[in-house]
Amino acid sequence: MRKVRPTLDDTARMMSETNETVTITIDGRDVEAPAGAYILDVAGELDIDIPSLCAHPGLEPFGACRLCVVEIQKPGWDDWYRQLVTSCLYPVADGLKVWTNSEEVRRNREVVLDLQLARVPKSDVIGDLAREYGVERTSYAERDTDDTCIMCAICVRACDAVGRSAIATLSRGPDKYVDVPDKDACIGCLVCAHLCPTDAIAFVADDNGKRTIWDKQFDLVTDERTGEVLGTPEYLEHVRQRATDRGLRWPDEMKHESAKVKRRTYSSKLARVGRIEEPAE
Amino acid sequence: MNERLYVTPYRCIDCKICEQACSLVKSKRPGVPARPRVQSFNVEGDTDFVLLCLQCDEASCQAVCPVDALVRNPVTGAIEVTDRCIECGFCVVACPFGCMDYDPANNEYIKCDVCYGDPACAKYCPTGALVWAERPLSEAEAEQRSAQRTTDPFSVPAGD
Ligand code: SF4
Ligand code: FES
Repeated sequence: MRKVRPTLDDTARMMSETNETVTITIDGRDVEAPAGAYILDVAGELDIDIPSLCAHPGLEPFGACRLCVVEIQKPGWDDWYRQLVTSCLYPVADGLKVWTNSEEVRRNREVVLDLQLARVPKSDVIGDLAREYGVERTSYAERDTDDTCIMCAICVRACDAVGRSAIATLSRGPDKYVDVPDKDACIGCLVCAHLCPTDAIAFVADDNGKRTIWDKQFDLVTDERTGEVLGTPEYLEHVRQRATDRGLRWPDEMKHESAKVKRRTYSSKLARVGRIEEPAE
Repeated sequence: MNERLYVTPYRCIDCKICEQACSLVKSKRPGVPARPRVQSFNVEGDTDFVLLCLQCDEASCQAVCPVDALVRNPVTGAIEVTDRCIECGFCVVACPFGCMDYDPANNEYIKCDVCYGDPACAKYCPTGALVWAERPLSEAEAEQRSAQRTTDPFSVPAGD
């Protein structure tokens, strides 16, 4: 899979279209980067490891998990003054200095992980990351729950991108949670469950011709030829709608005689190679 | 670069060498072949043909992709899946030719990217049904190629 810089965010897109590059300093290295790219992506290109849970190249950056914090200094600032920013949504600019793993940065990530550990004590992803930062046990009161949602809202953004906007964050403050308020909007595509960094979204995929997610059960459509699951009827209808909205012809009438396709052995066919007729020009 | 991947379906003998070459070069872990991006078929009634992404000018996969994850490579002209993909599978449903696919072995959405300008399928196709060149092979050249492959199945033609 080829790596590209995300340009979904409008400012980033506008700035990157000018093909401008800027020079920044990351961990003491002077590097060229496209103007408007986010620090996280520039660091990723350089194989500098910044932990991040809520960033996805295809989705709008959101800055929810706070793990990707880095220290920055803009040109002209006093030498002792640095600021903490979330690198997943901070665009680079000329002369920017970045520290991705300084003491201050690590201390902040520790606090974030300490808090997350109290929120989702059962999550392996958070547990492993916390141990990496030397947090064995949380210093706060643990929630008594099996839930592993860290409120990064990747599912909400993914569902928006898919065009359903079925998932929303509900309530406020410490009681905030994600759910599907309108079950009819969900098409059972499982994108949210696959993207969730802590596997917090429960689903039963394709059990006895049924699929269950967000407490809604779906039927499944399978490919006649290969027997592979194509998706739920609601999902196929959504893609058909998207395609026809964009002026594409829907290939209902194009179904080829796939059931008759069968495999032949190489040797019996090789004999025929010389006998292929030239088509009339 | 003016080279293109020329597909001449009637020359296909359904030997599946292209599928094997594809699945080997696209494999990510040893021993786990990837799902091939190219398919060869035998339809009852004696027709063999090979099916490959057409890199459509107005591609359905690109049109339905919600996050612009399918990007055309300006050098090869091929549409490639990038890391923006959110794995929704819309492109698989939308492609009228069945050339977008999901590879369960590597857990990713796949399509032919002409191996970034060095397609393995064309390298090993014994009959000239698939060639990476500036023009399709003439009948004489195709015959010569299949004759060469029959005597030396693993030879790679000069220039490829
Ligand atoms: S599976 Fe990936 S490439 Fe295909 S339409 Fe969805 S996001 Fe785009
Ligand atoms: S990746 Fe930046 S805040 Fe989550």
